[in-house]
Amino acid sequence: MSNPILSIEGVTAGYGRVTVLRDITLEAGRFGNVGLFGPNGHGKTTLLRVVSGLLKPQSGRVVFDGVDIAGESARSIVARGLIHVPQGNRLFPDLSIGDCMALGAFSPHARPHEEENREKVVKLFPKLAERWRQKVRTLSGGERQMVSIGTALMSHPRLLILDEPTLGLAPKIKDELCASVLEISRGGVPLIVVEQDIEFLLELSQQLYLIDHGAVSTEIKPGEKSLGHEEIMSMYFGH
Amino acid sequence: MSSAFADIAFGGLFQGSLYAMMAVGLALVWTTIGVFNFSHGVLMMLGAYVAWQLIEIGLPAWAAFPLAIVAMGGVGWLLQASVVRPLIGRPNIVLVVVITTLAAGSLIENGALTVWGPRSKQLPSLIAGNTTIGGVGVSLHQIAIIVITPVILGALWLFLNRTRLGLAMRAVAQNEDASHLVGLNVTALYGLAFGIAASLAGLAGIFIGGYRFMSPVMGSDPLLKALIVVVFGGISSVSGPIFAAYLIGFFEAACNYYFGLYWTPTLLFAVLILILMVRPEGIFASRSRGLA
Repeated sequence: MSNPILSIEGVTAGYGRVTVLRDITLEAGRFGNVGLFGPNGHGKTTLLRVVSGLLKPQSGRVVFDGVDIAGESARSIVARGLIHVPQGNRLFPDLSIGDCMALGAFSPHARPHEEENREKVVKLFPKLAERWRQKVRTLSGGERQMVSIGTALMSHPRLLILDEPTLGLAPKIKDELCASVLEISRGGVPLIVVEQDIEFLLELSQQLYLIDHGAVSTEIKPGEKSLGHEEIMSMYFGH
Repeated sequence: MSSAFADIAFGGLFQGSLYAMMAVGLALVWTTIGVFNFSHGVLMMLGAYVAWQLIEIGLPAWAAFPLAIVAMGGVGWLLQASVVRPLIGRPNIVLVVVITTLAAGSLIENGALTVWGPRSKQLPSLIAGNTTIGGVGVSLHQIAIIVITPVILGALWLFLNRTRLGLAMRAVAQNEDASHLVGLNVTALYGLAFGIAASLAGLAGIFIGGYRFMSPVMGSDPLLKALIVVVFGGISSVSGPIFAAYLIGFFEAACNYYFGLYWTPTLLFAVLILILMVRPEGIFASRSRGLA
């Protein structure tokens, strides 16, 4: 058991007068990968936007590696190695794959590792190497997701956040992508994953949080409860 | 016949270069920030007046012109910081920025009137003298504009497509959230885009001031022309308006030659309206916003 790399302490956040997150508290990195699940529209994506600095929380602390980063700019959070792959794969439609990878290494902390990270990405997603000069808009959904994740790997992540990486992908592509994500995790980068595919989430994460109405309604730590498809489905759909 | 060809070719190249230089800054700001800068014409005026002032205090033209262009970059950055940046993130930003940039433009215009007075002034030509090409008399100033414009536009293209900073600007143009998430300094890139646009406007002003009389309201006609060029070429890229600028330049030159000066605006607008009915996104546009 180690210290959590990220802990979210009593965060309240929302858009305008609408509060989405209500005093939410959770931590990540103590037991390995963290999976977030729960119905749509209950604050998972909003939580990730707060963590990566796209949305300023109204109150609460976001502690990454011992430092409160709540309210810091997205740029300085990236420079700390906390990298967020947003939902959907509408990255930069008119940039080439190579351009996206160069952008991923834009942050000063990532630049010295550009060469080594590019090799990692190419090894993980050989398909991307074949289409290095192709524009992102011409790629398939699965390939675009690979570009999104590859770009994040170029940013030299110390913690990687994936928001529904398999959303809308065909089953075969999904399996390939899941294998790649597992590979990243084995490479030593802890993950926080939001995912609707429960099988994948169970395989990937050691710790699970059910997010409901902007707060954690259930936390499952390793060894505490047996995790099974049935229980999770019943949490999803109520009793 | 050869005279007709030379007349149209030269007129088209000259007007096209001028329009391209007026429009490219407007397009750059639209593609990166997603707003229309209605003070763009006023920035052309200010560029010309700053150059004039620098020459007035004794600087030679070759120093005054680049200095004015650099100064305009700073003016653009300040303008962005004061009337555009505070509004970023508002849902109705496009309309609000039309109003704030118009207001800022009006302030600058009246400021220029107060400082420099209404009397017309003129800048020295880029190169003094005249020559004859294919039986058409032209000034060397016009030739300089025809030569300098593609060089500047080419340099801009290289900057956008071959440097890391240019790559970052193209990225911001396409997806602001994703740009934040790869660690780009989005506000600084917006400031840079506005600064470069203002510098290009300043250069356009120096071009204009070298062959026409300058006045504090000299920017309104070029702004209109730049808007036409940008809408016609497609507001979604930087290269579209550049092609459109030359196309309009040649069209006008041909109309001037065959139908006379009075018919040219009418014909131009008739053709523009027809084309925009068929291709409302502009003739060279793709569907998304982006710098290329």
